[in-house]
Amino acid sequence: MNQINRIDGGLINRSNKLNFNFNGQSLEGYEGDTLASALLANGHRMVGRSFKYHRPRGIFSAGSEEPNALVQLRTGAYQEPNTRATVTELFHGLEATSQNHRGSLKYDLMAVNDLFSSFLSAGFYYKTFMWPKAFWEKFYEPVIRAAAGLGRLSGEDDPDIYDKGFLHCDVLVVGAGAAGLSAALSAGRAGARVIVMDEDFCMGGRLNVETLSVDDKSGSEWATQALAELSAMGNVRLMTRTTAYGAYDHGIVGALERVTDHLISSEKKPRQILWRVYTKRTILCAGATERPIAFGNNDRPGVMLAGAVRAYVNRWGALPGKRVAVFTNNDDGWRTATDLAAKGVEITAVIDSRDGQPPVDVPKGAAIVMGGRIVDTKGRHGIRSFTLSNGQQIPADCLAVSGGWSPNVQLTCHQRGRPTWREDIAAFVPGGELPQGMSVAGAASGNLSLSSVLLNGHDIGNSVVSDLGFTPSKVKSSSSEEETTGISAFWHVRESKVRAWLDLQNDVTVKDVKLSHQEGFRSVEHLKRYTTLGMATDQGKTANIPALAVMAECTGKSLPETGTTIFRPPYTPVAIGALAGRARGKDFRPSRLSPSHSWAEEQGAVFVEADMWYRAQWFPRTGETHWRQSVDREVTQTRASVGVCDVTTLGKIDVQGRDAAEFLNKVYANAFAKLPVGKVRYGIMLREDGIMMDDGTSARFAENHFVMTTTTANAVSVFRHMEFCRQCLWPEMDVHLISSTEQYAQFAVAGPNARKLLQKVVDSDHDISNEAFPFMACGEITICGGVPARLFRISFSGELAYEIAVPTRYGDSLVRTLMAAGEEFDVTPYGTESLGVMRIEKGHAAGNELNGQTTARDLGMGRMVSKKKDSIGNTLSERDGLNLENGLSLVGFRPVNRSEELKAGSHFITKGNTANMANDEGWMSSVAFSPNLGHSIGLGFIKRGSERMGEVVLATDPIRGGEMDVEIVSAHFIDPEGERLRG
Amino acid sequence: MIINHPLLGPRDAAEFVYKGDASLINRPDWQADDAAELFHEYLYLRDNPAGEHRELWYHEQGDRSWLIVTRNTLTHDISKVEFARDVALAERSKK
Amino acid sequence: MAKFTLTANTPLGGFSHDFKGVSISEVNGRSIVSLATPLGGKEAVSKALAKTYKLEIPEPGKSTVSSLDNAVLMGMAQDQTFLVFDHTEDKPIDVVSKHLKDTAFLTDQSDSYVMLRVSGENSRSVLERICPIDLHPSVFPEGSVSRTIMEHLGTVIVHEKANTFLLMSARSSAKSFLEAVEVSALNTV
Repeated sequence: MNQINRIDGGLINRSNKLNFNFNGQSLEGYEGDTLASALLANGHRMVGRSFKYHRPRGIFSAGSEEPNALVQLRTGAYQEPNTRATVTELFHGLEATSQNHRGSLKYDLMAVNDLFSSFLSAGFYYKTFMWPKAFWEKFYEPVIRAAAGLGRLSGEDDPDIYDKGFLHCDVLVVGAGAAGLSAALSAGRAGARVIVMDEDFCMGGRLNVETLSVDDKSGSEWATQALAELSAMGNVRLMTRTTAYGAYDHGIVGALERVTDHLISSEKKPRQILWRVYTKRTILCAGATERPIAFGNNDRPGVMLAGAVRAYVNRWGALPGKRVAVFTNNDDGWRTATDLAAKGVEITAVIDSRDGQPPVDVPKGAAIVMGGRIVDTKGRHGIRSFTLSNGQQIPADCLAVSGGWSPNVQLTCHQRGRPTWREDIAAFVPGGELPQGMSVAGAASGNLSLSSVLLNGHDIGNSVVSDLGFTPSKVKSSSSEEETTGISAFWHVRESKVRAWLDLQNDVTVKDVKLSHQEGFRSVEHLKRYTTLGMATDQGKTANIPALAVMAECTGKSLPETGTTIFRPPYTPVAIGALAGRARGKDFRPSRLSPSHSWAEEQGAVFVEADMWYRAQWFPRTGETHWRQSVDREVTQTRASVGVCDVTTLGKIDVQGRDAAEFLNKVYANAFAKLPVGKVRYGIMLREDGIMMDDGTSARFAENHFVMTTTTANAVSVFRHMEFCRQCLWPEMDVHLISSTEQYAQFAVAGPNARKLLQKVVDSDHDISNEAFPFMACGEITICGGVPARLFRISFSGELAYEIAVPTRYGDSLVRTLMAAGEEFDVTPYGTESLGVMRIEKGHAAGNELNGQTTARDLGMGRMVSKKKDSIGNTLSERDGLNLENGLSLVGFRPVNRSEELKAGSHFITKGNTANMANDEGWMSSVAFSPNLGHSIGLGFIKRGSERMGEVVLATDPIRGGEMDVEIVSAHFIDPEGERLRG
Repeated sequence: MIINHPLLGPRDAAEFVYKGDASLINRPDWQADDAAELFHEYLYLRDNPAGEHRELWYHEQGDRSWLIVTRNTLTHDISKVEFARDVALAERSKK
Repeated sequence: MAKFTLTANTPLGGFSHDFKGVSISEVNGRSIVSLATPLGGKEAVSKALAKTYKLEIPEPGKSTVSSLDNAVLMGMAQDQTFLVFDHTEDKPIDVVSKHLKDTAFLTDQSDSYVMLRVSGENSRSVLERICPIDLHPSVFPEGSVSRTIMEHLGTVIVHEKANTFLLMSARSSAKSFLEAVEVSALNTV
């Protein structure tokens, strides 16, 4: 049986037949179908099981508001759960399976839940499964998880790619129905930059599904013509399959474009694009959503929204049923009966909750019940008949229900907007403060007749562009025939004795809302959380208003008094993959590579990520199997002869200006004003609260020119801080900052043979002997026959050492040259591990010590903080709290038993005291194995440390376990007099 | 969020880094008798207005200017954006 | 004693690739010198620039082009201008200071950036995926320059001529930056 329910007409391309597969069954549809329309055309009414009770469920709507028809789309890693069949564009080879059942869809083993429904009512989580407590994790939770929930994830990495992008326009039109197209025509004709977005793959909105005509054409013909005019305009961009899902600050709108979801394969193109739209004005033309009426067993497959029923018939030529009945509280519901009757479909009855006369001509053969109430329905896997309050039974395999239309106000509420109630249309309309630049047109603003929608869109389009300074075109609005739109609010049938559903997706019934009220959850926000009403993929688009009406009835308040829950983005679901965009795996963030990176890779270096930088951690040589072997060798070789380390990653800031010296004097806590040209000085930078911020060196190359270095980690924040000082604190100073971190490749050359090595590459007209170029000298030189370089006689390792900088383009060449020139000295490259070992041996503080809690005094540099000048942090560094007699000081530690390994992070306790917080006297900040001393060494902070040399304390490590006796020693483990670095 | 830069026009907040209350540009005199007290107030005591707030933003991914943005903390509306340097200089000339 | 020489490399080894309607190529052979205008010294810099490069100091966000060394002067901030010009030798500062004397504080930035030129009819669609600022000619006309952020990387973008944009981003992250631009092209065209 093929497409047994397909009839003539509609906007489908019958010449392009598409094969697809549902629950293993091979089916056919046409280009232009959604999965839902194709399933209906094939006579599939039941497409899933409900969330809690596993009740049979069918297609309910024809749009993104769908609560029921959620399917798993595609297979394997591409599998996507909870896809709404109503907005899934059919493609050749589509595979879908229904969700939420064990065994087959028709004979679900979990349907037994329905029999226990009295245990699963509102708040059942909080009631039923509380005792005994131990049962929760092991029994209740896993069982409930397995029984409830929607679709399943593949458990594999998402193989698709996603992208992001930025759009800019004068006017963003959200929704391309009658209002959106009219507004876009107005804005486009005036010459504004316009973007039109619609979630559908075919623009036109309800023009494509209604039989109303516009300007003597069918609605869809008019839409096609409008789209042709718009796409011919260079200033208009039309985006189908694109949902504006959120309205944010200052006119920013988030949108999701589904680029390849309608294709069998995305062919390595992004599946979806998350757009950030910067727009001066937004015209929200999101239309309206029909809502149901609650009555007994109103959740059976075949019970559908009335507007959806005629949409399937008119747009897709798909019949939801052969014998259709309508239950409505408004005139619009009757359109379903008249449209279907015109197509020759049997209408068994029209039940109108209102008293009085039918608003339109009655379809032939239909029973008409004015003031009617449906109390129950029958049919195991789909409706077969329904029962009225007077006991009358009427056959129908499709019951089209209309409780009126709710304007889609969601985006108007994403900032501070609160919708207001309009009694005449029994609906909330946009109210309060709308997001910046937003206007609303068409059904979204409460204009529910096509003629008013067209005019409203046209006028708002014109007023928005004239507001932006464009001259609106003189073209008149399109018009359509008049229609009746009367409604009398009616939310649920009280006479129903059986469960009446409000929220189909979350299985929330009228009784649940009443129970919630009874138990004290009366605010709408509490109601939502207690019953889960309005949660999950549909966010209660069809359920919220009827449920609020029931709540209002319970509390005796009006609907506007009851209010709605707050709408938040996203309007429809957005995949996490789309939010992540490209930022996955190694692309999570960019990587910065130092100039010697390629060379280091060739050496087999092991890299470590330091912020975005990749730094060589150590350089294993053949035969070395443990990192310690490599590091011990690098340290030993450097201290014995010479080593080379890439220090490019340190921040470099070029400071120039007439007041450059005075400026540095203010940002450094120690004196800088009198630093002679050709000299480098170590500087400490404090935060204004007196805590250490950063340390580094500054070299004076000219009277008005300094080159500052910062730590790698603080390069950006120190620059920012100095710009703050320059612009905000001392704007009268002539000083200019620019980063030169990227400009220079810089290498440390350290060890007793450092000078000899450098003398081989430095051009002979530059004297770098100890006399001519002593410790802390700096200068501009040339190397290798004229290449400009900067040389600094500074040492982090404690050895005779230099740092040499060349323009980055020479960095790769320079490291290779240094290695070649150093061959005769058995030069070694060293990485960050050896750098760490040597600085700990030398007692130099680094990031572990400058941790945002320590002061210059703690670090033993209190005397550097000048009291004779104004500089950042100096005043507050004198606070009592930072100058306690028993304050911390940085000292060295070694294990009493030299074979033991110190642990960074362990805490110090005086011998004999209990190891607890009260007796905590400080912590070990850095440890290393010193190959020179042959044992573990550490730096750490301990109270009055400098007065306690030789004392043995307990180092305890309660987190990882273990404690040991350690001796307090000088932090300068090697060469305490500094003879080496001055040699 | 968009900050309307005085020279460069509207820019996404992603280009900026927030610092805090604009009063941070009024650093106390280190030689005042009550300098410690003044610095304590400067650094730690802040108004927390429900309404207009003048605050410092740094255009790090732009022209590296420090700006003083007047933002309503209730509505997020930005009513004024100035160069902090201009404000600092103007306040100096007042003194 | 062995004689050592140093050889220069470029950030991306001269990358160039044509995609449908858009070309991405590394730009080399240009030097970048930052000019910081001393406090109160704008007039002196202007005079020196007018005399040699026949240019005025552009406002931030604008650029001007000189026939001397094909120099482009870009307004980066109120007191900062970049001079980008044909020069492949070392010490580009010497060239500039010859013209400007000591009217401005100069900093060599030639090795600080990777420069990519994105050109072709699809260049704006490609850049739309990573560039947050509006590149429409009505908003960002030819000659416009802006510093912004693309894929977490600070980037200077210059609208050189119709459908041709110059991008400058940090040299150390050149590969990541190229990937950002290349992926945009692959994802778009």
